[in-house]
Amino acid sequence: MSDADDLRSSIENATRSRRRWPWIAGAAAAVLLVAGIGFAVTRGGTSSSAATSGEPVRGGTLQFALIDYQRSPDPQWGTNYAESLIGNNVTDKLTWQDPDTGEITPWLAESWEYNDALTEFTFRLRKDVTFSDGTPFDSAAVKANYDQYVRGDEKLGISPNGATLLPGYIETRTPDPYTAVVRFEKPLASFLQASSFTANAQPGFLALSTLKLNAEQRTDPTKVIGTGPFVYESWESQVKTVLVKRKGYNWAPPALKHPGEAYLDKIVFNTIPEASVRTGSLESGTIDATLDVGTTDEAPLEAKGYEIIHRGVSGTAILFNFNTQLFPTDDLAVRKAIQRGWDRSAVEKTVLTDSYKIATSVIAPSVQGYADYSGSVLKYDPDAARKLLDDAGWAPGPDGIRVKDGKKLTVKLLGISNLVVNKPAYESVQQDLKKIGVDLQLTVVPIPDYAANVAKAKTDWNVTAANRSRNDAAVLNLQYNPELGNSNFLTADSTGIDVPELTAALGKLETTLDPARRKEFAKAAQDLVVDKYALVNPVYDPAQVIAHAGYVHGILFDAQSRNHFVNTWKNDGK
Amino acid sequence: MPRYIALKLGRAVFVVWAAFTVAFVLLFVLPADPVDLLFDPAELNSVPPEVKEQMAANYGFNEPVIVQYLDRLGHALILDFGNSVQSGQPVLRAVVDVLPSTLVLAAAALVLAVLIAFGVALAATSTRRVWLRNLIEALPSGAVSVPVFLSGILMLQVFSFRLGWFPSFGDGGFRSLVLPLITLAIPVSGPIAQLLVRNFTTELHSGYVTTSWAKGSTRAGIVIRDVFRNASLPALTIAGITFGNLIAGSVITETVFARKGIGRLTQTAINTLDVPLVAGIVVLVAATFALINLIVDLIYPVLDPRLRATLAAGGSR
Repeated sequence: MSDADDLRSSIENATRSRRRWPWIAGAAAAVLLVAGIGFAVTRGGTSSSAATSGEPVRGGTLQFALIDYQRSPDPQWGTNYAESLIGNNVTDKLTWQDPDTGEITPWLAESWEYNDALTEFTFRLRKDVTFSDGTPFDSAAVKANYDQYVRGDEKLGISPNGATLLPGYIETRTPDPYTAVVRFEKPLASFLQASSFTANAQPGFLALSTLKLNAEQRTDPTKVIGTGPFVYESWESQVKTVLVKRKGYNWAPPALKHPGEAYLDKIVFNTIPEASVRTGSLESGTIDATLDVGTTDEAPLEAKGYEIIHRGVSGTAILFNFNTQLFPTDDLAVRKAIQRGWDRSAVEKTVLTDSYKIATSVIAPSVQGYADYSGSVLKYDPDAARKLLDDAGWAPGPDGIRVKDGKKLTVKLLGISNLVVNKPAYESVQQDLKKIGVDLQLTVVPIPDYAANVAKAKTDWNVTAANRSRNDAAVLNLQYNPELGNSNFLTADSTGIDVPELTAALGKLETTLDPARRKEFAKAAQDLVVDKYALVNPVYDPAQVIAHAGYVHGILFDAQSRNHFVNTWKNDGK
Repeated sequence: MPRYIALKLGRAVFVVWAAFTVAFVLLFVLPADPVDLLFDPAELNSVPPEVKEQMAANYGFNEPVIVQYLDRLGHALILDFGNSVQSGQPVLRAVVDVLPSTLVLAAAALVLAVLIAFGVALAATSTRRVWLRNLIEALPSGAVSVPVFLSGILMLQVFSFRLGWFPSFGDGGFRSLVLPLITLAIPVSGPIAQLLVRNFTTELHSGYVTTSWAKGSTRAGIVIRDVFRNASLPALTIAGITFGNLIAGSVITETVFARKGIGRLTQTAINTLDVPLVAGIVVLVAATFALINLIVDLIYPVLDPRLRATLAAGGSR
């Protein structure tokens, strides 16, 4: 932030006081003012009306607050929560992933089949779906959307937003208006989940008239047309996005059992960057619900009668990806010692709230195929960690940090400060590792600095710490396959790691949609990544947390922990 | 006189060009790649290189830096800054969309700041009690010492959350302007007040004041008729600095009160390395800055006869 800059420049620009005591008096006056106001603030308290549920009520406006704003109303473009969340309420997807079971269920596609090679997926579309401009949703719309989503359009200035989600996309065939056949170069089992994807840069369907617009024209929200339960009324960058109910909507995912239109008439997504202003606005009744609730705000809000709802983000945990090319994380013993060398319960007690969980595998428990390692390699055991290092020849040095061949056991970590929990959690790990003689050095920075440093991660950083939301075990393949994400910078001659074995094990995740076999493959992949080669140190499972007034009901977290408001209603009469 | 004007005008143009160039260089010296920032940071390692190349080509980032610089400079001359990388919106429209909000806020804050500053200076000069005078003189230091984000949040806590007098966020009408305006005016008033207090003190001891005393003027009469006019002139000199303070303060004020505005736009543009947007904002702000200084430079000779005489003498040589 530039708070400090501003303050500094104000002071520098001010003419210097000649006497000292006016300064002291000024400071004293400021302190008194702050203390006085602080006292006034902390006295008394408000409470929200008690929850009275019952039959859903139609109508009303939901005032919703969140930290981010949509940079463009185009839902296929975007990397923040505001963008994916609003996109989910304006557009629909082919399929709906059940957030509890992970099962892929019908939505705009009534049914589907795929070939044995998993390179061709045939979707039978619903016939009653229309875009909000009245044009039909059909296989031509699927084709036009997927083509542009994966390839972009240079003339229109549209980026290939979906290229990473749908690797190896060849084409969409349209044998008849309500059958779409999506084809890939290589087996892509995860495409079925991708067809339901609701997180960043999502494949939500836009009308043909919208696809013809360039990036600039798409900043007119009334021209961004989807099939979703809400349509754009207005979009004001930095300030708010307003959605109104789509008249005649009747195709919510069958799994939601929601017939007909959305309950709410209108949703206002207010951008409020300051945490205290979000919670204050909730308490004063200006807004009905807020996302991005800080960890320290959860308990006070709950005590005042607000409801806290949360869901862990499905995908990988917040984790340390080890660089296997760089000293000292090229040593398996070091990686294993780090996994075992920090106290999970300390992080749980001092940093996390009930909404967040300590990671027990590389993927979150909500992802199908998750296996639990909390009783084995991810269990705090400082003695075992010390023994691992002793046996590998790391001897304690004069300052307590271990040394081998004259080189210190210093591990450099690059992390992102976007989630408030990250830094304190890493610091807790750092303290524990010091006790076993590992010097973990933290560089936890905002996204632009992180992105800049990731480019040099191969040569400069032992650990990159991040997470990726994708509710499918194939996220492991995407992140760790040496031929794809290669988060550990593996090469053919990486010592102690059978790279072909790992590549094959991860690649198998894309070759079957049979639940039992996928589970087996996911377990095998986790065994290699977490246990055998210790390529990651999972830290905690991030969560999305909403606080809302008692009169708000039915805010839904989907499989990617984004919110859908088709089911949401409120009974405060406003 | 024409030479004086030409000199000042040339300097203003140079400042704008230099600001554009420095901003451009800084953005390219920064290690981050603007294209990387268009992706989810966690996905960066799995974005295919050809996709990145396509994105770079989309925005012209694949050209040599010097070509990009000349191209952007050429277009900037005709006020075409291109489209924002992050939103696709034309830069000029993005700026024009938010500019009125900032202008209203800054102008109102400036008026209030000046009123506060004169109030403080008059009060400090009028009182004869030393302890009271010292206390009042300490206020400007206090004003600049309170961080804007802190005073903003405190004000919200009291007047919005607790008393409910004013809305806590957004910019809908006059009532939503009150709190941000006060928040921004306080630190801006500090330097002006300090300057005025000192000038009032100096002028109060000058010869013409003694003359007025001798003629039997009252203290109030002297302060308002004689001192006020002569002491306020130097306040014009720091108009540029005041403008800078307003812009800097607006970044935080706009963030705390969730208002749209040029401050927040700048912050986001820099955080996301939105090169065209940053270049556009820098040029517009630098141009305003240079324009204010130019106007001050030009009206100074009009207001101060001594300077006029010097210029006339210099011009005749």
